[in-house]
Amino acid sequence: MLRTCPQKAQWSLGLTRRAASCVGIRTSVGVPQVRRAHAPPPWRPAYSLDQWVAKEARPISLRQLMVFGRTLTESRLIGSANYVRTELPTRLAHRIRDMQTLPYVVVTNPHISQVYELYYKAFEGLRRLPEVKTLEDNERFCEKVGQSLQEHLTVIPKLAMGVLECRGLMGQADMDRFMNTILRSRISRRVIAEQHIALTETFHNPHHFPESPLREAEFVGEVLVKCNAKDVVTRCGQEVAALAQIAYGPSTLIPSINLSGHLHATFPYILSHIEYIIGELLRNSIQGIVERQKATPGPPTKPPPIEVTVCEAQQHVIIRVSDQGGGIPRDVLPHIWSFSKGPRSDSTLQNLNQVPKMAATLQELRVEGGKTTAPDPKSSTISKMDIATHNFRSSSPKSGVLMHDSSLASLSSRDPNLRLGMGLPLSRVYAEYWAGSLELHSLEGYGVDAFLQISKLGNKNEQLTMRASMDAV
Amino acid sequence: MITICRPLRYYLPRAQRGDLQRKLSTSPGLARHPSPSAHRWSHPPSSTIISDNDVASLASKSLHALSLADLVKHGRPPLPAPALFSSANFTLSLLPIRLAHRIQALRNLPFIVVSNPNISKIYNNYLHSLSTLLPYNHKTISNLQDEIKFTEVLADLVETHAHTIPTLARGFLECRKYINPTEVTRFLDGHLRARIGTRLIAEQHIALHMSSQPHSPPNPVEEQIPDQSASYIGVIDTALEPASIINSCGNFVSEICELKYGVRPTWIIDGEPDTTFAYVPVHLEYIITELLKNAFRATVESGRGHEPIIITIAAEPESQRGMPTSSTIESASPSGRDPTNPPIRPLQTSTPGVTIRIRDRGGGISPDVLPNIWSYSFTTFSDEDDLPPGSGNMDALNALSGTAGGGSSIAGLGYGLPLGRAYAEYFGGGIAVQSLYGWGSDVYLRLKGLGRLDI
Repeated sequence: MLRTCPQKAQWSLGLTRRAASCVGIRTSVGVPQVRRAHAPPPWRPAYSLDQWVAKEARPISLRQLMVFGRTLTESRLIGSANYVRTELPTRLAHRIRDMQTLPYVVVTNPHISQVYELYYKAFEGLRRLPEVKTLEDNERFCEKVGQSLQEHLTVIPKLAMGVLECRGLMGQADMDRFMNTILRSRISRRVIAEQHIALTETFHNPHHFPESPLREAEFVGEVLVKCNAKDVVTRCGQEVAALAQIAYGPSTLIPSINLSGHLHATFPYILSHIEYIIGELLRNSIQGIVERQKATPGPPTKPPPIEVTVCEAQQHVIIRVSDQGGGIPRDVLPHIWSFSKGPRSDSTLQNLNQVPKMAATLQELRVEGGKTTAPDPKSSTISKMDIATHNFRSSSPKSGVLMHDSSLASLSSRDPNLRLGMGLPLSRVYAEYWAGSLELHSLEGYGVDAFLQISKLGNKNEQLTMRASMDAV
Repeated sequence: MITICRPLRYYLPRAQRGDLQRKLSTSPGLARHPSPSAHRWSHPPSSTIISDNDVASLASKSLHALSLADLVKHGRPPLPAPALFSSANFTLSLLPIRLAHRIQALRNLPFIVVSNPNISKIYNNYLHSLSTLLPYNHKTISNLQDEIKFTEVLADLVETHAHTIPTLARGFLECRKYINPTEVTRFLDGHLRARIGTRLIAEQHIALHMSSQPHSPPNPVEEQIPDQSASYIGVIDTALEPASIINSCGNFVSEICELKYGVRPTWIIDGEPDTTFAYVPVHLEYIITELLKNAFRATVESGRGHEPIIITIAAEPESQRGMPTSSTIESASPSGRDPTNPPIRPLQTSTPGVTIRIRDRGGGISPDVLPNIWSYSFTTFSDEDDLPPGSGNMDALNALSGTAGGGSSIAGLGYGLPLGRAYAEYFGGGIAVQSLYGWGSDVYLRLKGLGRLDI
């Protein structure tokens, strides 16, 4: 099935090159080879970009997304399209300018320059789109946007690899700040684009709603109006546990998850975002517990459960994940929030090389309807697929719409042994994007407590930039 | 220029007799216009006199960065006389400078603040303590008599400053209109941290003195509680059991709770209760007491007195990597080559510490209050409770600082958390608070082990 994909040649090419660059980095002699293998992005006149950079992004809140989408009319849909039409190139322009201000040597890194080219291409394509005036215009617009979303699926692993390869070329703090900003901006673009595509889909399928079970009707576009923390934890827990069971073998005892606290708490949220965060936290916990168990001699005993506490207050919902997985080693702790640094950078880089392939695999699965067999049972993308399609709306034939969350799904469904070193920092980016927070406390030798705070009312604007970052020139 | 003379009841150190002129080197602006000798400087009412010269010259010396190696370099007690003298002389080389720095910091506070009776009492305590040390300033302690006298001076110093914290707390509370909070915070941060070090140095020598006693007939060690003192080097317990400290502090705090609320909260210790590490027990006692006070109070006041407080002790595993090389060990212990008293080798890095998590169901900390929990003078009591009449809080603080008995109030003057953190940070640890508002709080106390003390 993989072989029939027209992208295959491209992929294998990309992978070979990446593999080569990876080797090159580890034996610093190879660095010049990397440079030669990839030409730096071409010079382009700055005029059109300057114009867009000068525009301010207009942030939105979950509540606005919800209210706007709830009573959908044609003029509203077209308004939404034009918002997205101007907002996407504006936000892209800001990030392109960010990249342009990076040191030259960093942008010539093959991964970073690929991302740069992707961004520039998308920017050039989107800024030329004519104003959306009719529903037919909107159809074309959605197609274009959906295509762009699809092309950008591999951006996260590429960025992560680029940042790791450039870790000696820039200060860690600057690098992490850049990474945070660009990822947050990426989330923001995908949110508004996917929201618009979903609204369009809803608008064109008015019969979809009455037939749907109640749960599905709780979505407005991409926003799950009453996201229940307990449900998310339960579902992600089962999924991550199943993945871990496959990865570690049937003889391994996977810890159970105990839920307590305010289990009825709900809040509006984008399901794929919270599923990603919770998934990463539970994955870390299970990994810690299983590995600790393996390290202790003697027959396996039932591992201590992961304690998840949901706490609801007026403004916030806080989800605390407490495990007894042994905590975070001293030498790793200072780097857990960094994309670019840490004692595990080298193995992380190797592991990241495998992710684009997984993204592609999942992509094909989704295009073909999601129910086909996975090429490798070990990767178990199927289970995620089933869950994903089940929890989201039923699948639609439009491939653009199907692309929604696959960049996240490919990360969520990866093998537990595949440490990418970005689960925590990326989860924090997602948490902070909707004005929440993610904190972690390690009890070395015992376990870890993670605290995910969510702004419950959904009235906070998306946080497009980090406070300290110089944005928009 | 104010020229009021200070009371003349003071005791003049020999060296300074006849030299009442005060040079103004502490204040750069005034130093440019040296005042005539007749112009004396007004200090808050004082019963002690000390020449400004002495303070200025001492304060101009830089502070020695204290390390554990300094405290244990004289060896494990009982110390032979020469080691005891060297400890005394080392202590003497540090304390006057430290006191002078504090005096200078106090002098730089606004006049109206230092005029406050409480603050000026503390100021005078420092002047007094420095004056008692100055006679030793140019001496080397080389006989037992001097050493005993010096230790008495130290004991007096420690006792004089025992009530510094509640007194300062009250003073700053009374002055809160006249000084901005960031200034108070900066001063107190510096002051309380410096105080921890100063007391540690003094108490360490006193403890070494008490447990060595080369001057008394040779049977002293057996008379003390042998099993307990065996693991001590001065004030440092090399095999401190956090669980036993938690239990004793827990009993103490729950007793106060019962007195105040009629409820006795319970606690459960899990994790690794048997773990031991090297630390200063009085520091740990202080921190744990403060944290338990908060947890117990929140639990009782939120009506969940029946929910036990869960205290988890996590022991860092022995580090597999990053073990200091032997050269580090050598450089850390330059002294102590006496064969009867083998060298202590404190490892400055990578020694196992502990993390203690105190988890309560007391409803957490409201988001309004959360940003203030680390500021001094902050109390979760309402405004009208801010200045409770006289002794209520003082007694409680004294009681809880372990300096006096019989307290009734459990809420202090809002120094518990910041001071607890100062203690924790003193040896490179820390305290983090995570609130689940509407549910409870998790407090993480991280303590670095003071080093492996292999003998």
